[in-house]
Amino acid sequence: MDIFLQQLANGLTIGSMYALVALGYTMVYGVMRLINFAHGDMVAASAFVGLTIYTQVMGQSASLLSVVIIFLLSAVVMACVGVILERVAYRPLREAPRLSAVVSALGASLVIQNGIMLIWGPQMRIFPVLVPQVYWDLGGVVISLIQVIILSLSLVLMVALYLFVEKTRIGAAIRASSIDQDAARLMGINVNSIIALIFIIGSSLGAVGGLFIGLYYRGITFNMGWQYGLYAFIAAIIGGIGNIPGAMLGGMLLGLFKAFIAGYVSSTWADAFTFILLIVILIIRPNGILGERVAEKV
Amino acid sequence: MMKSLQRFSYPIFFVVMAILPNVLDDRWQAVAITFLVFAVVALSQDIVLGKSGMFNMGQALFFGLGAYTTAILNSEFGWPLLATIPLAILIPALFGVLLAGPIVHLRGDYLLVVTIGFNIVFVQVVQNNLGGLTGGPNGIFGLDSLSLFGIDLSSQIAVYYFAFVVLLLTLWIMHNLAGSKAGRAMHYLREDQLAAESIGINTRVFKIFAFGLGAGIAGLAGTVFAAQYSAVSPEAFEFIQSVLFFSIVIVGGSSIPGVLIGVFVMFVLPEIFREFATWRFFIFGFAMILAMILRPRGIWPATFGKIPKFLIKESNHGS
Repeated sequence: MDIFLQQLANGLTIGSMYALVALGYTMVYGVMRLINFAHGDMVAASAFVGLTIYTQVMGQSASLLSVVIIFLLSAVVMACVGVILERVAYRPLREAPRLSAVVSALGASLVIQNGIMLIWGPQMRIFPVLVPQVYWDLGGVVISLIQVIILSLSLVLMVALYLFVEKTRIGAAIRASSIDQDAARLMGINVNSIIALIFIIGSSLGAVGGLFIGLYYRGITFNMGWQYGLYAFIAAIIGGIGNIPGAMLGGMLLGLFKAFIAGYVSSTWADAFTFILLIVILIIRPNGILGERVAEKV
Repeated sequence: MMKSLQRFSYPIFFVVMAILPNVLDDRWQAVAITFLVFAVVALSQDIVLGKSGMFNMGQALFFGLGAYTTAILNSEFGWPLLATIPLAILIPALFGVLLAGPIVHLRGDYLLVVTIGFNIVFVQVVQNNLGGLTGGPNGIFGLDSLSLFGIDLSSQIAVYYFAFVVLLLTLWIMHNLAGSKAGRAMHYLREDQLAAESIGINTRVFKIFAFGLGAGIAGLAGTVFAAQYSAVSPEAFEFIQSVLFFSIVIVGGSSIPGVLIGVFVMFVLPEIFREFATWRFFIFGFAMILAMILRPRGIWPATFGKIPKFLIKESNHGS
C-alpha cells in the first residue's frame, strides 16, 4: 500500500509535467494539424534559459520574488522563440504537403536542440535548488514541497487555460480556428494571430514544464527534449489530440502509468510498456480517450 | 531535360561507383560503404514513406533487425555471414508485416508516433539483452568476415562490392516496382486512398506489402552493416537514425537521385567537413527547413509513370 501511495504521488507529479507540455502539442495540432517536433526541445531550452537567468540576472538568489521572475522571464523568452519558430519554419509551409511541414518541424527541433548544445555545452548541467527542500513523511509516504508546488501550479494553469478557451471570446476564436480555418477566417477571425497566440500559450506552458523538469530531476541535458517531448506527445494522443482536457487527462494517466511501472515492474522497461499502452489504446480507441471521431477527409 | 540527364547520369554513376574503391584509401572506402548501406536503407524507407505515403518513422528498426539476425546467427550458431542473408531478409519482412498489420489503418500522424514507438521498444529490447542473445548495450562483436565457398573476402574492397551489389539489387527492385501492378497501387493509395479503394485496390494489402518489402530490403542492408563493422550495437539503430532516413526521403523528393543526394549530404559531407562536426545537426536543421520552404515537394521530386505533363494536375501529396 505504501508503494502504491508513493507512486501515486510521484505519478501525479510527473503527470502534471507531461500534461503541461502536452497542452502545447495538442493546441498546435488542433489548429495546424502539425506535430510540432520542436516543442520538446523548447521545453529543454526553457530549463537552460531558467538556469542562465538564475546565475546571470538574479545573481543566484532563490528568494520567492526571484523565483517568480525566473518563471515569468523564461516563459516570455520561450514565447518569443515560439512565435519566431512559427513565423520562420511553419508559416511558409502552411499550404505545402503535410510531410514537408513535418520535416521542417524536425529541422527546427534539430536546430533548437543543437543550439542548446552549442550555447550551454554537451555535458549535463545541474539545475539550481529554487525551492526549499522540505519533505513531509505521511505514514511512510514521502512528499516534497516541490511535488506539491508542481502539482498545484500545474492544476491552476490548466484550469485557467480551460476557462480561457471555453469562456472568453478569444477562446471561442481558437476553438473556431481548430474546427475550420477557412470558415473562421470568413467570420472575421484573424487566424494568423490565433496561431501566434497558440504558440505563445503553448510555449509558455512548455517553459513552465521545462523549469519543473529542472526542479524535479535536477540534471538537465541538451537532448532531453526529445524524451520528454515524445512522452508528452503520447500523452496528448492518449487523451485525444487537439482536445485540451484530453491532454491534461492523458498527461496524468501517462505519469501514473510510468510511476507504477517503475514501482512494480522495472524502470528499464518503462519505454516499452508505455508504447505498448499507446498502441493498445490506439487500437481500441483510434482517436484517443476524449477524442471525437474525425471523418476521413475526402 | 531531367529524363535525358538521368539516361546519361545512371551509367556514369554506376561506372564511377564500380571503380571508386580502387582509388580511395581505407578511411574513404569505409565512408563509401556507409554511403551504399544507408542509401539502401533510405531507398527502403522510400518504398514505405515516399511511394506508399505511410508516415513510417521507424525504419532503423528493420535495419537493426537484419543486422542483429546476421550477428546472432553468426556468433551463436556459426553460420557464415552470406548464409544469413535469407533469414536477415525474411525475419525483418515478417516483422514488418506483423507490426504493420494492426496499425496501417491509423491516420498519418498516429502511424508516425506508433512506428517511433516500435523503434524505441526495439532498442530497449536489445539493450536489455532479451533472451541473452543481443549482448546488451555493448552489442555483439567479433563476427566472422565475409567468405564465399571458402574464399576469404575480408578486405574492405570486398565489403564494398557486396554493398554495391545490394544497392544495385535495390535499385533494380525499385525500378521494377515503379512499372508493376503493386507499384501503381501504392502510388494511387498515396495520392488518394479513398479513390484507390473505390477503383478496387485493396489498400490494406498493399500497405502491408509495402511495409514488408521495405523491411526486407532494410534487413539486407543490416547484413552489410554487420559485415562492415564485424559488430552490431544498439545505438546504430536508434530512433534518431529513423528521423534521418525519414528526412532524407522527403527532402530528396522521394526520387532515386534525390534520395542518393540526401544520403550523400547527410552521411558523406560530414566526413569531408570534420572540423564542423559539432555544428553538423544545427546546420542540417536549418537546411531541412530551408529546403522544405524553397522546394516543398523535395529537391528532386519524383515523377510517376509515362503520363504526359499537360495531363498532370498539381496535387497535394499525402494531405
